[in-house]
Amino acid sequence: MKAIIAATILGIVMMFAGLQMKNKSSVVTLAIVLAFLLLGVNIWDLVATPATAPVGYFNNMLRIDRYALWFSTLMTGVTVLYTLLVGKEIQKVGVHVAEYFALIFFILCGVYILSCYNNMLMLFLGIEILSIPQYILAGSDKKNLKSSEASLKYFLMGAFSTGILLMGITLLYGATGSFNIVAYSFLQSDALNPLALGGVIFVMIALGFKVSAAPMHMWTPDVYDGSPTPFTAYMATVVKASAFFAFIRLFQVSFGSISSQWTVVLSVITAATLLIGNLTAVFQQSVKRMLSYSSIAQAGFMLFAVLAVNAVAWQGIIIYAVAYSIATIGIFTVLMKLKDYTYDGFNGLAKKEPLLAFVTTIFLFSLAGIPLTGGFMAKYYVIQAVMVQNQFLWLVIFGLLMAAISVYYYFRVIIAMYFKEGNAELHAPVTQGEKVLLVITCGLVILIGIFPQLLLSWI
Amino acid sequence: MGIYDIAFWILTVIAIGCALGVILSRNPINSVLFLIATFFAISGHYLLLNAQFLAIVNIIVYAGAIMVLFLFVIMLMNLNADVEPQKGRLVQLAGVVSGGALLLVLLAALRTAKYPTLESTPNEIGLIQNLGEVLFTQYVLPFEISSVLFLSAMIGAIVIGKKEDSTHSA
Amino acid sequence: MNILMLVATNTPFNYFPVVLQLVVAVGFVVVMMAATHLLGPKRRTKDKLINFESGIPAIGNARQPMGIKYFLVAILFVLFDVEVIFFYPYAVNFKSLGLEGFYAVLLFVAFFFCGFYYIIKKGALEWED
Repeated sequence: MKAIIAATILGIVMMFAGLQMKNKSSVVTLAIVLAFLLLGVNIWDLVATPATAPVGYFNNMLRIDRYALWFSTLMTGVTVLYTLLVGKEIQKVGVHVAEYFALIFFILCGVYILSCYNNMLMLFLGIEILSIPQYILAGSDKKNLKSSEASLKYFLMGAFSTGILLMGITLLYGATGSFNIVAYSFLQSDALNPLALGGVIFVMIALGFKVSAAPMHMWTPDVYDGSPTPFTAYMATVVKASAFFAFIRLFQVSFGSISSQWTVVLSVITAATLLIGNLTAVFQQSVKRMLSYSSIAQAGFMLFAVLAVNAVAWQGIIIYAVAYSIATIGIFTVLMKLKDYTYDGFNGLAKKEPLLAFVTTIFLFSLAGIPLTGGFMAKYYVIQAVMVQNQFLWLVIFGLLMAAISVYYYFRVIIAMYFKEGNAELHAPVTQGEKVLLVITCGLVILIGIFPQLLLSWI
Repeated sequence: MGIYDIAFWILTVIAIGCALGVILSRNPINSVLFLIATFFAISGHYLLLNAQFLAIVNIIVYAGAIMVLFLFVIMLMNLNADVEPQKGRLVQLAGVVSGGALLLVLLAALRTAKYPTLESTPNEIGLIQNLGEVLFTQYVLPFEISSVLFLSAMIGAIVIGKKEDSTHSA
Repeated sequence: MNILMLVATNTPFNYFPVVLQLVVAVGFVVVMMAATHLLGPKRRTKDKLINFESGIPAIGNARQPMGIKYFLVAILFVLFDVEVIFFYPYAVNFKSLGLEGFYAVLLFVAFFFCGFYYIIKKGALEWED
């Protein structure tokens, strides 16, 4: 609750900072300080809230529990890491640096709403607050035609999916007469209402769009590829993770009682997401585009958590969100240093910048799910969640197969760095500070891989 | 058939017909005019539901302000060159088939649905007074939070819409 | 008569006069236009069918993209238009909502005022050439 207010106010502070401060790097410094401040507010919120039953706020518009608070805190932490690593690159995107950070704070406001919403109206508002700043950020590089294309495409498709979401909410309201997600009681009525089921499917499609699940993934490669790389890093990580949190919150808390009705549909979506994401990623030439397909593939694994209606799934989504976000932000940071975004651009990076190549390898290991990295533990937890459910064994096997395929395209980058001759060109030499940050990020990835319980201790 | 039903069917035919006109007409200006007509028909529906405030707001905001923006956008485009990419027949057919299938499934599902909360006569829930009461008490949080949305929209207008000074651009 | 009383007892039939006026207004226009078309003399010569462009020969057609300076103002207008619309339900319930409602609206307006100040300072409302 405090965090939502703080994020809004800090966003406005950033807006006004843009009016006063002419120096871009001081704007970035301010943004980093404010991000730390926001993290502090989150931790305060977390510590001050007793670990009792969930508390409803504002006529049950929000229902704050430990999961919500802890997820908000973690996502803020990831954002802090993001501003530290990527802040410099954001300066280069355009002239409105302060506004970009203001939008990122507003996105965080949406993240907090999505982590604790208890009302369909708040879900809608949260999704919109999450999305609209993204449409703007996608098109912030105005001189680049691809950026404008990404923005327009994202906006049109996003507006369409919002329409579908509203249709779903309307059907659910028509069936139950309520917006309150814990008040939905589908089983009490004598028969399952087709009206409600239609609503569930529509909401699933709309949320599937936001997390780029398979038949609704079409926008992802173009938008992620066309947007300025610093903002792609944010869209693919924090935003996607919190959309997933909203997804799992609705489908476990509210639709969990009728899970037999929708899990079949969702399992097909999951399988399609894994298949399309992984297979298409294999054929990409640009690493940035490969990463956008890989983000679809990773979404497939996160859908495992939504599919499994149990407590392990919650732990799985939290670990997955953090492990995936940190590794992806790390690899995007390295990517931004390079001039050439194709695989060839990585050729010979190990000789030129051994440290950069090493951390990239760790991040890629994590994304591929190699043991001792965060990505392995994340995959372990979400797969365990499905196994506990004792359903969809075929999907687990299929997922493991697809994970094996993903190793191919992630390792192509490693092979390019270590075994291919070439001269990987950098925009600017990597400074000591950046190296330290990258090593810390890398350390976090390994830490999650060894002690995943650290991420669950606060729940 | 009461007067409500007659009005309902007339408005429905206008709304759906004009909505089809929006997507079928070749000239974008015609599309916009059809869209305005659709909004008016939907406002009529709101009136039938006894939600006068929504009806008026729909006309003021959508038919008034947003449609003007649409016209501006059309003026910004170059309509001389026929740049609109033509989809293949197969794609069109696939779209119609899948959309039609969705419609069929929905119709089949909703035909058997029960409407537990449906009211047969218009009540006063949509009147401005009741709306305001609910909006500023029960739904006060969404109301405040929506201002964040407006703030980001303002930033968006500045970041994307405003011409950048040549002195600033790097 | 108290206007609030009128609102409270509203049904769709209260809008019948509005519909009637709409019908009369639209009908008048349609009848007049049809009448001039039917009654007026028509001489369609080639020169008369040319677009009139201040007496000089027409060049090209009107389908040209044109820059609209007013565009940004129009976008911002929509936002503030929506803000103002929220005042109507508040104004109707002004007394019954009391201080709490007042604070809610005050906060909302404060957010908008921040945005307004920002827009002014950014020079979005300036008429740039």
